[in-house]
Amino acid sequence: MVDIKLKLKKAPEFPLEADVITPDQFAGKSAAQIKKLIVYHGNEEKTLGEFFDVTGNGSEVNDIKIIIDGDLSNVKRIGEKMTGGEIIVNGNVGMHVGSKMSGGKILVNGNADDWAGAMLNGGELEITGNAGNYVGAAYRGYWKGMQNGVIKVKGKIGNEALSWVTGSKPGNRFPTLLCGSAGSFLGVHSHGGTIIVEGDCDRCIGADQVRGTIVVKGKINRILPSFKKIGEVKEIELMNGEKIKGNFIEYSGDHSVEKNHSKIDKKTGNISNSSNGRLYVAA
Amino acid sequence: MADKNIRTVTDVICPFCGTLCDDLEVDIDNKEEKIVEVRNGCQIGTKKYFSSNPSVHRYDKPLIKDNGSYKAISWDEAIDKAADILIKAKRPLLYGFSSTECDAQGKGVELAELLGGILDNTASVCHGPSLLAIQDVGAPTSTLGEYKNRADLVVFWGSNPVHAHPRHLGRYSDFIRGYFRKDGSNDRFIVVVDPRNTHTAQLADMYIQLNPSEDYELINAIRAMLRGVELEGDEISGVPKKIIIELVNALKSCNYGVIFFGMGLTQTLSHHRNIDAAICLVRELNDHTKFLLTPMRGHYNVAGANQVFTWQTGYSYSIDFSRGYPRYNPGEFSSVDLLMRDEIDASLIVASDPASNFPAAAVKNMFKYPLISIEPHHTPTSVNADIILPPAIAGIECEGTAYRMDSVPLRLRKVKDAPGDCLTDKEILERLVEAVKKKKGE
Amino acid sequence: MRINNLILITCRTINQGVALEGGKNTIENVRAAGICAFDKEDFKKLDCPVGTPVKVITEHGEVVVYSTISEEGPHPGIIFIPMGPWANQVVNPDSQSCGTPTYKGMKASVEPLPNGKVLNAVNLIKLLKVA
Repeated sequence: MVDIKLKLKKAPEFPLEADVITPDQFAGKSAAQIKKLIVYHGNEEKTLGEFFDVTGNGSEVNDIKIIIDGDLSNVKRIGEKMTGGEIIVNGNVGMHVGSKMSGGKILVNGNADDWAGAMLNGGELEITGNAGNYVGAAYRGYWKGMQNGVIKVKGKIGNEALSWVTGSKPGNRFPTLLCGSAGSFLGVHSHGGTIIVEGDCDRCIGADQVRGTIVVKGKINRILPSFKKIGEVKEIELMNGEKIKGNFIEYSGDHSVEKNHSKIDKKTGNISNSSNGRLYVAA
Repeated sequence: MADKNIRTVTDVICPFCGTLCDDLEVDIDNKEEKIVEVRNGCQIGTKKYFSSNPSVHRYDKPLIKDNGSYKAISWDEAIDKAADILIKAKRPLLYGFSSTECDAQGKGVELAELLGGILDNTASVCHGPSLLAIQDVGAPTSTLGEYKNRADLVVFWGSNPVHAHPRHLGRYSDFIRGYFRKDGSNDRFIVVVDPRNTHTAQLADMYIQLNPSEDYELINAIRAMLRGVELEGDEISGVPKKIIIELVNALKSCNYGVIFFGMGLTQTLSHHRNIDAAICLVRELNDHTKFLLTPMRGHYNVAGANQVFTWQTGYSYSIDFSRGYPRYNPGEFSSVDLLMRDEIDASLIVASDPASNFPAAAVKNMFKYPLISIEPHHTPTSVNADIILPPAIAGIECEGTAYRMDSVPLRLRKVKDAPGDCLTDKEILERLVEAVKKKKGE
Repeated sequence: MRINNLILITCRTINQGVALEGGKNTIENVRAAGICAFDKEDFKKLDCPVGTPVKVITEHGEVVVYSTISEEGPHPGIIFIPMGPWANQVVNPDSQSCGTPTYKGMKASVEPLPNGKVLNAVNLIKLLKVA
């Protein structure tokens, strides 16, 4: 692993769009070349060197470890579309961190703003603080959100995390979110996401969920009327085969969605156990 | 009564709300070029025509702030000063556009692109969530004429047309006789869903009072019931289950239904997800009968602003040109969020009054930086502006195109001349574009 | 008497629409939009004559407006201020990152302020301009 260190020199006046801070862009470049990469500040083009001190030279993508120091809460799009390597941010980070990444690892030692890990397609994003709204969500109008990879948030996340998440057992894709607590509309329009919440959630969890598993180890403010209680379980099997032990109440849903795989048998009135669309809340 | 001093213009399109009534008659005094009578219009539209007459509330010359008071300047100087402010800014906001005609909106897009600024229209604080939901799940919609002739079930969800779109009920949705609804109101079943027993609700055949901010749960429950799911609990969102069953039966058994929804869904918690659910409900209802929905647009040409921005940039509102090409993300590039994060360093407000309509904290940040206002009247925004550029009022003092709430384009008429030195919005924006181009050396 | 735990909703009214088109710095605009409509039963708890200025307080700010009894009741526990500069002093500017602020459904408290002064739109907004 080669370390490339970035240190924020001055706080940007406007949001700084630094989608060049990825191992892919730094690969094969010297510190001087990295400093010349273009960032966007307001409606002006600037160079990375104007805002950051850079030390270290890039090698192969997967061998690069970028370490960034400073308050980056106004720096957007760090690690966007990265495919490998590692980024460590020591401080808060702005919007779209790790959005559309498909490999590698990002560790944020602080809080992240909205759209963290949006439409993640592989790799791992870890945030030790809180994250804003739309964690791992689909961008506006996309019908496929996060498709693979893992997002871990220690603290609280905002609303609409993992909207339109799309997982697949046969495709071996298990997009997963682990978080401390969550706002409302967690996993809205989920098509096979796995979400585990250590604490409490706000309202409308799993709204319009077609497939997927949501496990809430705390309380939910209001469970949607279209979720049906199945019973109590002692063990949950996640989509990827992992198991969670504990006392949970199992709900199936969302039953307001047309293509719900947890269908209700018209003759017997039983809920088909064949597939997903499950919400588990601590008993 | 024929009076030589009075001329009458008929079939005038009212530039107030998204209903765009097209049957107004306006009398103008030839000598003074003043409106003396308006017929057929609602209270608000009529007032709009009268307030276009020269008064202490109307600007007729470009003004610039000088040591706390305003000083009249020439158009050339005003455009020059405004262009300087906009060019100097690194993140200028161009906001408004919903109360002007489509050509001016197109010029606004050009200016925003030249400046690398942010372009937004008033949908961002009203029906923006509807547009987000439509992008997510589509929208089965139709024109108002269709509803008038066919609909036998009309739902007003979170909208109060008696107050906000006063002639909507009379022209399209309730009292009017339609081709298949010959008996007008008696042939239609009106449902109102609102936390308050509004004047519209008082006219309705069925009124459903729900808890504020719990619309999503109610729509969700209706959708589940439509799919035959037995619900637990006695009431949902404060509505007894018995009434929801009645509502579901009414929705299923109509021949042609329509949902008109308003701010009650878009401005409450869960914003666009409310509309998302409402659209999914309509989709579901089409398994049983014919059902459609239409947003109750406020400003008369906010639908036009969405149309123009979409065909020119690909996106309907909250557009960022800072990287040279249009990008879109409400929440990131929408006016109120930008102002709340204090990201803007100059603003150009066209035909809108954000100081009245934005939350106070956002207005505070807007006032910190240079503000240019293209606005015919004294408003809380314009009286705090650094440069005021007075336009002719579109639809009264100049022609143009506007889109009705159902996205039907109509041609606005000119009924009288603008007072003083007023130019049209299009001319002002055109001159700003020219000045900016010249200064940038393009 | 102060009432807590009310829910504040902003709304359109035809008078507010007329006043909005007729001049925003007029006294008509204050009478049309600088008001707060109460449910009849809630208003009794305020224990003051109709029209007394009241201070509406939410976690986002406070504003003084005239009190009135709603024609569109009953709606116990809910108060209404027409959309406009007065309402916007107390609405929730947070849009949950969707662009549209939450103009409806704030928790609010109200207390009568018999000597309170209701500012007109221009003077109210001027307070936001930091000299």
